[in-house]
Amino acid sequence: MMNKTPSTPAKIELRHVTHLYLSAHRAFMAVKDINLRVEEGEFICLVGPSGCGKTTLLSLIAGLEKPTSGELFIDGKPVSGTSSQVGYMLQQDYLFNWRSIEDNVFLGLEIQGIRNKETEEYALHLLEEMELVDVRRSSPTQLSGGMRQRVALVRTLACQPDVLLLDEPFSALDYHTKLKLEDLVFTTLRRHKKTALLVTHDLSESIALGDRVTILSRNPGQVRMELTIPPAIRNALPFEARNQEGFQDVFHQVWKEMEVVSDASKGN
Amino acid sequence: MQAKEIEAVHLQYLQKEGRTRTWVFVTQLLLFAAFIGLWEMLSRANLINSLIFSYPSKIIALLWTQLLDGSLLPHVGLTVWETIVGFVLGTLLGTLLASVIWWSPFLSRVLEPYLVVANSMPKVALGPVFIVLFGPGLTSVIAMGLAISVIITTINIYTSFREVNPNFVKVVQTLGGNKRQIFTTVILPSTIPTILATLKVNVGLSWVGVIVGEFLVSQMGLGYLIIYGFQVFNFTLVMMSLAIIAVVATLMYQGVAFLERRLTSQFK
Repeated sequence: MMNKTPSTPAKIELRHVTHLYLSAHRAFMAVKDINLRVEEGEFICLVGPSGCGKTTLLSLIAGLEKPTSGELFIDGKPVSGTSSQVGYMLQQDYLFNWRSIEDNVFLGLEIQGIRNKETEEYALHLLEEMELVDVRRSSPTQLSGGMRQRVALVRTLACQPDVLLLDEPFSALDYHTKLKLEDLVFTTLRRHKKTALLVTHDLSESIALGDRVTILSRNPGQVRMELTIPPAIRNALPFEARNQEGFQDVFHQVWKEMEVVSDASKGN
Repeated sequence: MQAKEIEAVHLQYLQKEGRTRTWVFVTQLLLFAAFIGLWEMLSRANLINSLIFSYPSKIIALLWTQLLDGSLLPHVGLTVWETIVGFVLGTLLGTLLASVIWWSPFLSRVLEPYLVVANSMPKVALGPVFIVLFGPGLTSVIAMGLAISVIITTINIYTSFREVNPNFVKVVQTLGGNKRQIFTTVILPSTIPTILATLKVNVGLSWVGVIVGEFLVSQMGLGYLIIYGFQVFNFTLVMMSLAIIAVVATLMYQGVAFLERRLTSQFK
């Protein structure tokens, strides 16, 4: 397959990325020959059955692991180790209970050695945007799941990354909180013009949030299909996007593809 | 239900709870009094050997005279001092060793069998070696107290370092943290409760080491009093020393337990 290569480098680009996990018992191929291009400001959703290497892809892009073969680029520069340009959000908040909310939010600033008046103020401003400024001196244990995940988002955004990797950040929340947080994350990332890559199990979430949806198959993870979401759905808030005309059609399209992907791997 | 009724029910519950507490305490006192009384009676009636078991009344009288003439407190002070130095050093050194092993996975694999051997080894058997190395005095006794606690501390703390949820480490890594930062921001603070719990165990272990150390070499301390009492067949002295050890060791344990509660309150 030939990639069209426009003159400006993509925000994120993966070229023929293959990754193996090695242990004493076996060499397991998590992803195989992945090609992916994400433009600046785009919101891409990765969906696929469990074991399709979604989290592996995020770890590779974050620079936590080196691919066995293939190349990864951010802004045209090869990825080598973690960078403050890339933020990562996990499935659960993993706030540090021994630090106050405020000190949790300042964690990245401390680690990167950029904690000063200005960056602290920016972080507190983000807390304010998320309506969390009142609890800044509380302990994480006093907060609800949704609030904690919002703090985790602020912790990531406080370091001002341009790329956000979201590893199922809504899946551990109850449905009501999840819908509200989707809208919040969507508007926040749009407003701050971030490029985002979201991994999710939830098909309707991927369509409601993403500009494009990439479907992966498993064993090993490979790109099966890429789907561009119609502008009407893409531009609406995730909650309203679900009621947009055409949402059901896209959903069925993704659903059918997922069925094929799941059946194919069952056959193995 | 009216607020008043709820209050009444709650009050009833509190009263019942209070009565139970009082009864537990009264029974505990009675049990102690019965134990002392029975001991005194059996000794006086010559049903147990009073040369070995002495009389509670004689023990208390001895305690009183020794307290007044000032010959007892230096023994108690020395043993307490040796124990404190032993368990604090054991905990510090154990934590340090665990940190070194955590830092280098290679080293941890190399040292594994040696730790197993060192842990299985009854440290008391090293007594003669310590005496030759450090001379018959304070250093040997502290070395014994230290030896008995340091290996198990190392193993326990290293295990708790390894059991830190890898996702907390991932948070720091994705924020750009290096190994030193992973250690100082996650590994060490999240295992403080374990380290304090180890401290509690080490109090007991250090008592064992110090008393045995004093049996072997010293000219002073509670262990020395026991051995001296045994050699001159003054079992009133032995029993008194045992009683003091029971009280002081309990106080010390409670002190550390209090410290633990205070310092770990923010982790819950």
